[in-house]
Order: sequence, then structure tokens, then C-alpha cells
Amino acid sequence: MAAHVSGIFPTSIQNSIKSSKVLVVGAGGIGCELLKNLVLSGFHDIEVIDLDTIDVSNLNRQFLFHKQHVGRSKSQVARESALQFCPQANIVAHHDSIMSPDYGVTFYQKFSVVMNALDNRAARNHVNRMCLAADITLIESGSAGYLGQVTVIRKGSTECYECQPKAAAKTFPGCTIRNTPSEPIHCIVWAKHLFNQLFGEGDPDEDVSPDSADPELRDQTQGDSTSQNGSSSQSTAKDSTTNGNGSLPAANAAGNVERTSTRTWAQSHNYDPQKLFSKLFHDDIVYLLSMDKLWSKRRKPTPLTWETIMAQQNEESEDSSDGVIKDQVLWTLPQCLQVLSTATAECSKRFQALPSGDHLVWDKDDQSSMDFVTACANIRAHVFGIPQKTRFDVKCHDSLDDGSEFRVVADAEQLKKIQDSASAETPAATAADGQAGDSDEDIQMVEADESSPSAKKRKTSNQDSDQPLKKPRTQREDDDVVLL
Amino acid sequence: MLDSLTPVITEDEAALYDRQIRLWGLDSQKRLRASSVLVCGLCGLGAEITKNLVLAGVKSITLMDHTDVTNLDVVANFLAPHDSIGKNIAEASKERAQNLNPMVQVLSDTEDLATKPGSFFGEFDVVVVARCSDKDLLIKINDYCRSSGAVFYAAGVHGMFGYMFVDLNQHNYVEEQKEFTEVVVNGEKQKTEETKMVKRNESFLQLSAALDVDWTSPKYSSRLKRISAGYFIMHVLLEFHALHHRLPAPSMREADRCELLTIKRSLLAKMEVPEDKLDDAFAELVFGQVSPVCAIVGGEVAAEVIKAVTKKDPPHNNFFFFSTLEDGAGIVQCIGA
Repeated sequence: MAAHVSGIFPTSIQNSIKSSKVLVVGAGGIGCELLKNLVLSGFHDIEVIDLDTIDVSNLNRQFLFHKQHVGRSKSQVARESALQFCPQANIVAHHDSIMSPDYGVTFYQKFSVVMNALDNRAARNHVNRMCLAADITLIESGSAGYLGQVTVIRKGSTECYECQPKAAAKTFPGCTIRNTPSEPIHCIVWAKHLFNQLFGEGDPDEDVSPDSADPELRDQTQGDSTSQNGSSSQSTAKDSTTNGNGSLPAANAAGNVERTSTRTWAQSHNYDPQKLFSKLFHDDIVYLLSMDKLWSKRRKPTPLTWETIMAQQNEESEDSSDGVIKDQVLWTLPQCLQVLSTATAECSKRFQALPSGDHLVWDKDDQSSMDFVTACANIRAHVFGIPQKTRFDVKCHDSLDDGSEFRVVADAEQLKKIQDSASAETPAATAADGQAGDSDEDIQMVEADESSPSAKKRKTSNQDSDQPLKKPRTQREDDDVVLL
Repeated sequence: MLDSLTPVITEDEAALYDRQIRLWGLDSQKRLRASSVLVCGLCGLGAEITKNLVLAGVKSITLMDHTDVTNLDVVANFLAPHDSIGKNIAEASKERAQNLNPMVQVLSDTEDLATKPGSFFGEFDVVVVARCSDKDLLIKINDYCRSSGAVFYAAGVHGMFGYMFVDLNQHNYVEEQKEFTEVVVNGEKQKTEETKMVKRNESFLQLSAALDVDWTSPKYSSRLKRISAGYFIMHVLLEFHALHHRLPAPSMREADRCELLTIKRSLLAKMEVPEDKLDDAFAELVFGQVSPVCAIVGGEVAAEVIKAVTKKDPPHNNFFFFSTLEDGAGIVQCIGA
């Protein structure tokens, strides 16, 4: 390897490479490139850690993995493939989370340098803190689409990964998601929350049922009824949902409707897709309609019934989908119902096969999970007269990405604060394109959202304090483009 | 128009290429799927370009090299197995290239680039020459590509330095432009973002013109200060090859370093460029091939090939330089008469 052939590197660099021990955190798009570059350069003592397994959608850029490796551990296959490039190297693979307590300060102190090739902020924060505690140099990286960036983090010399606040995640008011969606994204976020309520890690902040504590309703009775447990519109609403399907909401002191959790409800109905449909897209919608204040300036939602939609099925024309891939064809409403049936059956089967207390983990590359969310998002969009989206487009949304959650806040003031602070951030200006630094799970700009602005700030402030870092990218200066 | 010329993307391809179709669109994927590429020179850089384009899903790629695998090759070309030393490097690289993507046709050609007639290049949409420092030959291949309609790339990695030259002749492409408008809805200001596709055209120079610059002319004497030192490193290396018919060798590091400095002085004098334009430290950095630099330059070349084939996004015009002398920055510059 290069450092083992004299004359390629100046001697001092050659010796440092040969004597170094390095850690690569993450064996995704960047991790695969890194491992290849490290072994070919002559680094022979390498450890790599990744908790993930290989998916077919990884293969277009995580080139150490091939079709026959799908389903296997990323770190282990990456090790095997990298060894083919350099059989003499000593590579240790950990199929594990770097955030596990097994990897403490003494683990980090074994290394000359640690390289992050991660796809989420939580793990980046963790490794950043561990490297500071262990006093080890960290090389932090990220990429999204055509963009990418690298930063060196060294205790006492540079800023760390968390020195600058990151751009806030996109946020929506809870009542927009639960009561008054107006854009496709609102329905997609709602559908993802529904998936988690039914099969995933149910988060109380991700409730999908109608929210009777909507501030718009409170304004109606401003001042006089807040202490009296609910206005008349709320009690009407309560009555209307009690008919139907046995969930018995009751307004509590805070004005919220107490309900059996969506999961318990679904379980008690054996995940029957028709009953689920009836509750979500008919009964809950009727309940929302009863909050008449919400609809005084809005288009009213239309409750749907399963039978009416299925009756439309025969009227459907054959789809002409020449020249596009299956995912890019928009589903009709009857098709959504069929997909909902199949996907609900599959997800509930898998969920019920798990030990009690365990749950499914959201993965947008999982066929049934993605089908479920697309179908539910589109049915809800139809209810509210919002344009529907193809499965391809729904999957594009970063709200569905593993590392980034959309936050839903209850309070409009809180939302405004977050939005104001987010708009104060300048867009990312670092750029380095090319396949070489292609990304992990983040082709749809997730990384750019979360890490680039801060990385730019780090660079800028490093310059101010005469740190030996790189020039910020200059925009086209006549005809020159500088890529860092 | 496109649909009648290009194959339909299958569901298997849609699954494999999911992430990149999201990035550059289905039409771009179809254009890639219809393109034939020649990669000449299976050094570390050639291997990177090959890997990136095979992964991207071109129709076919021909690996061309008449040389045999050496111990210097296997520290940079990860497609050539260690036990292939002594075998033809194009042949040796074929299997691993194919394993990267079974949907791409991977071919090999063991003949010397210098012996190929002009008609040979007409078989390709893209010609990338990755290991050739013979200036006259590069200029000849560039001419062949112009007459056959292929786009032409010449690129090289020398130690920790790398460059790319591109000639797309007349290139038409589309670029996405975002337009923001403010609309007032229910008394609230809302920003709407619209993406428009704008058609553009760009003209390129041939390599002969790009290498032949009068640095005393008013246009270039004022630009000289901002020109990348990489442009002059490239000239020194082409001159080294013209004189010695080989590249600087790691095994002759000290002697070749001195020779590089001698060439630098006479070449810059001839170009009437001040000597301090190129720091002598460059002569330490141009031995063998260093894998991370191959990855950077190979990434740029492949990304540029993808832009050219898909006719989407503004291409680099016409040089890219990377060297550790310039703070590890990659620089794109348009240089030529």
C-alpha cells in the first residue's frame, strides 16, 4: 500500500501513516470510500463500527457491498471487501451502535484519529463528546446529494460539533397535523405518526386523533369558558364521536379529549383495516367537522366510507404508465384502500409476532411500512381536498428519513420562535460534489439542513481566530469555482 | 423524444438506483442507461472513474489499457487484485468492475491508445483518458472526439496532485432555477417556491488551445495571479513525460525531484511566468498515486461525465485542479486562448 512503497509519500508522512491506528464510525456511503482510501494509503490498523445491515438501495454508492450481501452486517462486509484491496491490513469490525456504553473513553484512546461517517445528529453529538473527553482528534463529515463537507475537530484548537446551535428541525403546529392539514406534507407527517402510534415507538407528541385543544377553538370562547371544562362545541363533538366505534372520548380539564390510545383501539379491533379506515377517515373526520369554528374560513373535510370507495373501483380506467416507474404512478382512492389493507395486515402481523413491549422500527426502505404511510397520507389528503402524492414523492420527504424527525409543537408562539431562529440561519455555502463523498441515507438534503450551516459557521469563526483551516468557498469569482 | 431512444427503466433498476433517481431524475437515469463510455488508463484514477460510472448505471464501459499490473498499481487501483501483478491491467480490473453492477456491460481492450484509429472513438459517447501524459497524443484524441461527437476528458493523478480537462464542444443543458414569490393568503404572507428549468449553452475549447496561453497578453497577465498553481504543475509533468517518456518514479524520488525543478524553471521562463508562481514544494508531491486524491479527482470526473450525459446542470469549463499546495482546495478555472 502507498505508505509501504517508499518514495510515494515524503518520509515523515509515510511513517505516521504506518504507525497510526484509526476508527471509522459508520460504514455507509462515506464509510465505504474512507475504508478503501485508508487501506490503499497504507493504514493497516483500522476498526470500523456500524449497527446497520445492507439494503438494496445502498448498492448504488456503498460500493463495498454487492447484491449477495443484502441483509448482512455493513461493518462485517465492509471489512471483508476492504481486505481484498489490502490483505495485509488488520481490520476489526463491530456490528454495533457507537452509542453503546461498551465504547467508553478508553476505547477511543486506542486511536490516533477518529473519523465520523454518520447519518444522524445524535450519534455525531455522542462521538464528538467522547472524542473531547478522550482528547482524540475527530474528523467529521457529511454529504447530501451533490454537496458534502469535512471538518476537523480537535480539543483546544477548533470548535467542536456542538459549539454552534444547529438549524432547528422543521416544525408544524400539532393542530395543523391533527385537525387542519392544508399541504401534502401535513398528511405525510400525520401518516408517519399514525404508523408509529400503531406499530412503532408510540410518542405522545405524535397523537393523530382530533385535537379539541386547538387554539382556534379557544379563541371562540375567549375569557369566559376556560375554567368550565370545555365549550359547547367540544361537548357536541364528544357526543358525535361516541357513536360509532366504541372509543369513548371525554374532555378533561385541559380541554383534551381522553381516548384509548390508537394502538390499544386498533389491537382491540384486531387491526381490521375497514374498522381502522372507518375510525380514521370517517368518525374522526365527523368529529372534526363538529368543531365548526375550524371550518368557517376553510374547506370542510369530507368523511369517507369504505363501501362507497370500493364501489368506484369498476369505473376505473386502465392506468397508462408508460415510461415511468411504478412508484411514480399516483394511486387511485380504491388502490389506496387495497394497499392499506395489505400493508396493515403485513405490519400488524410483524408487530404482533414481536415480544410484548417491543415495536417495529420505521424504515422508509421497508415496502409495507412505506405503502402504509403513502396510502394513509393520500386518503387523508383526499379527505381534506389536498393534492395527493406518488409513493416516490412521499418517500422523498425528509420527514420520513431515519435521522431526522419533524417536530410538532402544540404552542403557536413556540413555533414562531423556532421559525424565527431557523430563518436567521444562513444557507449552507460549503460545496464539494461528486460521487466520491456520496451519502448515507440523506440524498434528500437532510444533512444539508442539519449540519452544513453549522459547519460553515465553524469554518468562518476558525478563520477569524486564525485557525489553520480552509478557505470558505468563494462563489464564482469571474470564472473560478473553489471546491473545498 | 427521449423515450423512443432509451430503454425503459425496470423495477429492479428503480430499486437499485432509488437514491440517485431522486437526485437527478428518471430522465437523467435513462440517458445514463443509454450511454457508452471509454475509460483509458486503469490507474487508481481510472479505477475510481470506472467505479463511479458503473455504479451510476451507464449502458457500457470499456476499460482500455495495454500495460501490465505493477506493485505501484495495486496501491491505487482497487479493481486489480494483488495476485494479478504481471497481467494486463484492463483485463485484471474487469471482474471487480462488473461485480459493482451486473446491469452494466463491462468490456476490456488491451490495445495501446496510440494505435487506435480515429473511427474507434466514434463508438463512444464519452471518452476519458486517465493515464496519459503524452501531450501530442492527448491533443490527437481530443481531435478525434470532436470529429466523432464524443465528449472528451483528460485527467491525471500524480501523488497528491490531480487535474481534469474537459472538452464538451458545444454543450446544451438545462439548469433548475428556483424562484421565490410572496403571496398574501388570508392576510398572511406566504413564500412560494417554484422550480423552473432553464435551457443554456456553453462553448468549450480544445486541449491544444487550453495549453497554449500567452501569459504576456493583457487578458492573461492580469489573471495570472489567480490562476491555480495546478495548471503549471500539469505543464511541468507533461514536459517531464515529453523529455523522459515516463512519469516521476517513487524509486528515483530525489533525482526526479531535482529534474522536476529544472523543468519548472525552464518552462516558466519560456512561458514568461515568474518562478514564484509555482512553489518548489510541488516537486515533493507528484510521485505515484495516492488513493484519496484519486477518489477526489475521480469523483469530479465522474460527476462531470454524468452532467454531460444527462445534459443537466452547469458543467465545469474547462479545468479542475486539486493539490495540497492550495490548502486542499479543488479549483475550477477556464483557461485557454
